Amino acid sequence: MNGNEERLWKLLGEWNIPVLPMAAASSADAAVEAAKTLGYPVVMKVLSPDITHKSDVGGVILDLGSDKEVKDAYHGMMASVKQHQPEARIEGVVLQKMAGPGLEVIVGAKLDPQFGHVIMFGLGGIFVEICRDVSFRVTPVDREMARDMVLEIKGSPIIEGARGRESADLEAIIDVITALSSMLEKNPDITEIDINPLVVYSRGSVAVDARMLTR
Amino acid sequence: MLGNGFPSPVYAVNPKATDILEQTCYPTVLDIPGPVDMAVIVVPISHALAVTEECGQKGVKGIIMVTAGFSEVGGEGKQLEEQLMGIVDRYGMRLIGPNTLGVVNAHAGMNASIISKLPAKGGISFITQSGTLGLALADWTMEMGIGLNIVVSTGNKANVDDVDLLEYLADDKQTDVIAMYIEGIDHGRKFMELAKGISKPILAVKAGRTRSGSKAVFSHTGSLAGLDNVYSAAFKQAGIIRIENIDDLFDSALALSVQPAPAGNRVGIISNGGGASIIASDTCERLGLAIPDLEPGTRAEIKELVPRFASYSNPVDTAGLASYETYNGIVKHMLRDPNIDALIVIYVHTVMWDSRIPANAIVDIHRGRCIKPVITCWLGGAGTEAGIDILKAGGLPNYPVPERAVKALASLVKHNGFLEKVKE
Repeated sequence: MNGNEERLWKLLGEWNIPVLPMAAASSADAAVEAAKTLGYPVVMKVLSPDITHKSDVGGVILDLGSDKEVKDAYHGMMASVKQHQPEARIEGVVLQKMAGPGLEVIVGAKLDPQFGHVIMFGLGGIFVEICRDVSFRVTPVDREMARDMVLEIKGSPIIEGARGRESADLEAIIDVITALSSMLEKNPDITEIDINPLVVYSRGSVAVDARMLTR
Repeated sequence: MLGNGFPSPVYAVNPKATDILEQTCYPTVLDIPGPVDMAVIVVPISHALAVTEECGQKGVKGIIMVTAGFSEVGGEGKQLEEQLMGIVDRYGMRLIGPNTLGVVNAHAGMNASIISKLPAKGGISFITQSGTLGLALADWTMEMGIGLNIVVSTGNKANVDDVDLLEYLADDKQTDVIAMYIEGIDHGRKFMELAKGISKPILAVKAGRTRSGSKAVFSHTGSLAGLDNVYSAAFKQAGIIRIENIDDLFDSALALSVQPAPAGNRVGIISNGGGASIIASDTCERLGLAIPDLEPGTRAEIKELVPRFASYSNPVDTAGLASYETYNGIVKHMLRDPNIDALIVIYVHTVMWDSRIPANAIVDIHRGRCIKPVITCWLGGAGTEAGIDILKAGGLPNYPVPERAVKALASLVKHNGFLEKVKE
């Protein structure tokens, strides 16, 4: 992990933003041991201070379900990363328990030169990329404001459980938005941050992936 | 300044002329015999700094610097502006501009701008970042008969900025509504904090809506949090009503300056023609305003006032009737109805009726200091003028089409929402 990434996951933990259990490994055998401890299925990500776009170099493999799959994935990943980016230092891999299926949302923030930190909320995947169905608030964001910003997007009926779908935990989303707001207040050097996706269940949520930029 | 009857002495300064418009002309500001409070500087840029220096020596407190060619042209202009600010700060003066088209204060009878004449006195003050637009608008409000108080073209905002002006207008007794045309704000957070604490309605048109977000593609948030989204969020949080375009800005400002904020979003509509009330209802729905049912008692009262085939539920349609008794009675009953927070009264002009009669019918009620807002729409151009004059004189904002009336009402509702939720 590069320094920022390490700090990011540490920050998420400190501010009680739920993350999946993870473990690092620097050999195929160690990876199998780690996967067993975490419990299958797992995700494998390359561990390197030099790589920012992991999936572009074959550095992310999802849904590994057995010891053999983990072992093969480890060797495959090392070969692929070396081929794509030979100069990158590789420290091994990080294994993370796979998140169960839930509603994917995005919670992010940006430092605006005029208004300071601005928090964004939206539904994940196509909703954010194509429909731009997102809402914004200038920090600090309290629970009431966070609730408004979630319910303000056009797709909010999906969160409340439209068409027979199970509803997603609105309070858990509000927890993450307000935690992010407090975290930004204490960390003014963060210029951009995305928790994407935050997977939301009928009870609770988990930050599956995140990235951060600092100045 | 002279043509508008400004009550205090006005001195002309020019190094060559001995008199301008029959006024004695002084070679420099230092030659003026009496004290000088404010200077309007309209000199070539090569003389701007020297003249400012003289103003400082004279003890001038405020400067309106119309002269352009400063930071807006970049390079050398930027340095000149820094030097200008050095002089202003040294003497403890305040300066509007440079590159401003001036300041108007209708209540003080002061027109220190290039607007041809003073606008009518009213409760709307207008801060504009675009000089030419502000002036065009001031002319337009005169035509519309909208009263203004202060109009400021901010220019480069080198000294006095949006925050200063907002602070001033918040305390200004003659200002009921603050309207703004904004291209960009320099101290966003401070501006927000200040606006939050102001209970007077603040309306803003923010130019550059379509400008896309930053090009950075590091994160989704980074690419989506463009200027426009951020401004929208900040305005909403500060209780600033964001308005899409210029005519809506003054439509809303007018309604807010003469009518109270409604307690909620439930609208009653009265019309003597079905078409206009359908347009009004559709617009209400689109803007999130409700058209609730009337109390049975109200319906029964209205039924007595309209023909059998007319609609006596909301929206009420008098089926053509526009008599004094009909309009006066219906408006009275609807205002009393607990389900109704605000009224839109529409009159569609036909040769059968005199537009003054329904106008008098509602102005007479409104004189009794109504706490629910009433917005009017006298439709039909020629023949409605006499009625509209009565409405205006009675403090009722009138709009030529139903959509504009509803949009203005929606701003009133929004302001009330902010008063309950945002304003400190």
